[in-house]
Amino acid sequence: MAMAQQTVNTAIDSLTAALKSNIIPNQEYFLQGSILDSSVEVLLHRLRGLCDNVDTNLETFHDHEMCFSIRGPNNTQPLQLRVRRSLDHNGMPMQLRYIGQPEIGDKSRPTVLRNSIDIGTSNTVVEFLTELGCRKDFEYSAKGYMFRKGRMKITVFKVFKIDETRKMMSSGGFDALSPLTHSYLVELSVLAPSGQDAIADDMRCFAEQLRPLVQLEKIDYKRLVHGP
Amino acid sequence: MGVTILLSYPVPENKTGPQTAELLIKRIGALGAVQSGQFLVDCETFSSGPTMGGPPRTVHVLHNSEQPAAVFALLESPGPPPKTVPLVADGLFDLLMLKMSSIYASKKQTRMEARGTRFEIADFLVKIGTVTMSSNFKGVLVEVEYRPCFIAGNCWELMREFMQSFLGSVVQNTPPPYFQVHNRLNDVYQPLDTIQQYLDHFASYRKVAGL
Repeated sequence: MAMAQQTVNTAIDSLTAALKSNIIPNQEYFLQGSILDSSVEVLLHRLRGLCDNVDTNLETFHDHEMCFSIRGPNNTQPLQLRVRRSLDHNGMPMQLRYIGQPEIGDKSRPTVLRNSIDIGTSNTVVEFLTELGCRKDFEYSAKGYMFRKGRMKITVFKVFKIDETRKMMSSGGFDALSPLTHSYLVELSVLAPSGQDAIADDMRCFAEQLRPLVQLEKIDYKRLVHGP
Repeated sequence: MGVTILLSYPVPENKTGPQTAELLIKRIGALGAVQSGQFLVDCETFSSGPTMGGPPRTVHVLHNSEQPAAVFALLESPGPPPKTVPLVADGLFDLLMLKMSSIYASKKQTRMEARGTRFEIADFLVKIGTVTMSSNFKGVLVEVEYRPCFIAGNCWELMREFMQSFLGSVVQNTPPPYFQVHNRLNDVYQPLDTIQQYLDHFASYRKVAGL
């Protein structure tokens, strides 16, 4: 019988080819802002008018995120990894995310840019990371709404502390969460391959439409950590 | 995916590996199998460096051309107690391992590959492959999948009979060691089970000196 000589490429070869042709969406463009609880309804109303995915009800989400870090050799900056799972939909894959250092850039850059690798995984990922040598730094719960406009994703959510003393209960402590602040965090983001800076201008235009309700801007965390 | 059994076919004294594979291909062809493409299962191993402290941990990252969008990772932790933690992730997991290369280094010379041809015959899928480690031939692996069934205990006898028809007495009358552990004969079969069988065979090939 004739042997077909087509060979199968290795996964690494395919990944390298994809990286070279710049089709892997590993850059995240994003802006952040916040809005007080008392005004969030108005923002949701405005987003319903502007966004795509609002035919029926608002799309909600309730996620649990855990942040791990693993020490590199020679006391270099530890590598941070985040694991996110949905509390509403138990069967869904978990999400493992690597986020690189954010680039704030100068005034000409409308959004923050950071390397972001999003990986869907089976539910053994927490045990896997722990045995790999990662340590859990902190965790929180996020509950809110998700909107989409074209390639842009807009999330309006509240951050909750997880009560450690209730973790042993069957609900995992997720039924009685205490909010961290009296406000909602608003994030506008796009995940794209590198070099698509035009999307940042579209994001700035969209952000303008949400003013003065919420000011979406580039937040420099280093300034927040080190204080005035 | 149906129940899959992986078998190492011993290379006879007077033949080479590729000749053995050809012989098996002829036999399966005589049964009426139709060739349908090629397959590849590869395994790259990463080890933790000294900064991690304690005995080294190993991560085996495997890919199977049958599940092109998935990456399988098996982490061997010395514990105590020693355990293996599996992870199934999508393709970008390889990028993450690259990012962690300073913490988990790849031992490129131990990369193993099982490559060969796929055959379809009635409800079975047969793959006859040669295993190489850095271009050194290690052995011949035969993978047989019975697609309609995903509980090994329900189709073991049928598969044994089919496999003995072209592999002969190499096929034992009892299920392979992999299925005799825990309750595997009654569990739902998953692609991860195929990957674990490949890893077990690759591990035993590594121990054998080059042929």
